[in-house]
Amino acid sequence: MIARSLRWRLLAGAAATIFAALALAWLAMSYLFEAHVERSIEANLIQHGRDIVSGLTRGADGQLALDPEPFDARFDRPSSGLYWQVSEDAAALRSRSLWDETMAPNESVSANAWTRGDVAGPFGQKLVFVAREVSLGADGSSILVMLGADHAAITAARGEFSRDLGLFLLLLWAVLAGAAWVQVQLGLKPLSDVRAALAEMRGHAGARLREADYPAEVAPLALAINALADARQRDTERARRRASDLAHSLKTPLAALAAQTRRARVAGAADAADGLDRAIEAARDAVERELTRTRIAAEHEAEHKRTGPIIDRLIAVVERTEAGQRLTFENAMGDIVLPLGEVALMELAGPLLENAARYARLLVRVSGDVACFCIEDDGPGLSDAEIGEALSRGKRLDETAQGYGLGLAIARDVAELSGGALSLDRSPLGGLRARVHWTE
Amino acid sequence: MRVLLVEDDPDIALDVARALEGAGFLVECAHDGETAWFAGDTEDFDVVVLDLGLPKLDGLSVLRKWRAAGRSFPVLILSARGAWTEKVDGIEAGADDYLGKPFELGELTARVRALVRRAGGHAGPVVTVGRLTLDTRRMSVAVDGAPQRVSPLEYRMLDYLAHQRGRVISAGELAEHLHGADGAADANAIEALVARLRRKVGADVIQTRRGFGYALSET
Repeated sequence: MIARSLRWRLLAGAAATIFAALALAWLAMSYLFEAHVERSIEANLIQHGRDIVSGLTRGADGQLALDPEPFDARFDRPSSGLYWQVSEDAAALRSRSLWDETMAPNESVSANAWTRGDVAGPFGQKLVFVAREVSLGADGSSILVMLGADHAAITAARGEFSRDLGLFLLLLWAVLAGAAWVQVQLGLKPLSDVRAALAEMRGHAGARLREADYPAEVAPLALAINALADARQRDTERARRRASDLAHSLKTPLAALAAQTRRARVAGAADAADGLDRAIEAARDAVERELTRTRIAAEHEAEHKRTGPIIDRLIAVVERTEAGQRLTFENAMGDIVLPLGEVALMELAGPLLENAARYARLLVRVSGDVACFCIEDDGPGLSDAEIGEALSRGKRLDETAQGYGLGLAIARDVAELSGGALSLDRSPLGGLRARVHWTE
Repeated sequence: MRVLLVEDDPDIALDVARALEGAGFLVECAHDGETAWFAGDTEDFDVVVLDLGLPKLDGLSVLRKWRAAGRSFPVLILSARGAWTEKVDGIEAGADDYLGKPFELGELTARVRALVRRAGGHAGPVVTVGRLTLDTRRMSVAVDGAPQRVSPLEYRMLDYLAHQRGRVISAGELAEHLHGADGAADANAIEALVARLRRKVGADVIQTRRGFGYALSET
């Protein structure tokens, strides 16, 4: 699920890329920091070196002397990590911190500029050093001036810096990932809008996406969907028209055929007439159902009206029938508006009412709410097996009572066309309860 | 008994006419709306069988014109079986019963007989008891001249009480008359029906004689 989600893919991609970039930045900044610290230590050492060079004198005995000695408390503390040394042949001056150790450069030292480098130093320390050869006066003998600082201090500073920087970058990563999430949400919003609009279109065949509702990148998609929907609707309407034309054109031949079978029956061919009648009946059922679908499709954009008055009009019809005139009808629908048009509601509730009236003893009750609609009676009802049989498409439960099975089949068609479902069970009144239920 | 049969399909018209004649009716045929309207407007029929899909003038328009002109004969409309809007329109235009096509001829003749019986069972078409007026052809009710909407069941109750005037009718007798002898209804159902009717036509129109039953007020 997550692997197929665009949102998660974008989010994971952004988070990973940002993380990689920040990690790289962390490494680079740590390295730069270390180089910077090293350079500033070297500059410090060179500063001390200059002081040393300027303080170097040769005494009367020809011995080197340094006055003043460079000032830094660390020069006086043995193995403190900050050292200086001035050496000429065998003799040498050195800071107290060097104690009796010496430093030696590991590369040739130039006379004109300070040489920098790393070298293994005393007390097992690794040193950053600067060194230079100088000569005093005109005697030309070269004197090596060398200063060193323990590298461990740099390493420690770098470690601390890296840790702090790491924490900061981690925080930054979280903030940037959050920003990426917001961006993904904003970017995908039009897509979820499209999805919602498509769901709307499923319910209302005439609904279309509004181009203005979408950003420039998604608008073409909306237009393409609209074009597809238009094409599909045209196809559907053409198919529906053909089905309707076909159904209409079958009606007259079927009526003529029925008249012929009646004549055949009069002429004594009763068996053949029975068989033909059954076939004609099946064809008529199919035609009638198709025509009902056409009638309902014709009003698919119609406004949904209050159900109560429509049910009242249907009841007025059923009350005229022989079965209906001895019954009391209760209509509790009132101002409830169901998700289907007037014609559809009539085609749905009509057969169910007629059915209920046929089997009721005294009472037929119509009730419901915004998503449900019930017609029940106090008649004998149906067993579970009979209910299953009644709902099997196009099947006729009672061969002698005309139109019973067809009525149910049509009611079921209509319910399904409007996105509902028809079910049958036993009513608290004792008889059959037909219930149409709409989800959403 | 004269029947006007309005049906444009000659095969079906022939079959229906034969069946009705077999049941003892005198049948006149009309094959389009205009002929039918003229026949119904100028002659008296005991009952009309009217197909709704007609050439020249559709069945509903014919029916509306007859009713507007005060023609009160009972009309049985033939409609496509599924088309409930058609049935509703038909009943609202003044039809007395409907039959979905295709139909059994036996069913048709039974319905026609029932319509004739319903319309012709009274000496006069209008019965007046006290403030109550019943039009037995249209199955309509008026109180002090103001029409009241009542259901057919309610109408039949008033009708029965009106025709038994002067007599107190027990709940059991009413139940038997309204719902048949199989005892489906009890006194409670009748009581509920009376209560509903009183709300529509006025409480004092139907009087209760405690322990005996009901009667219509004569004043």
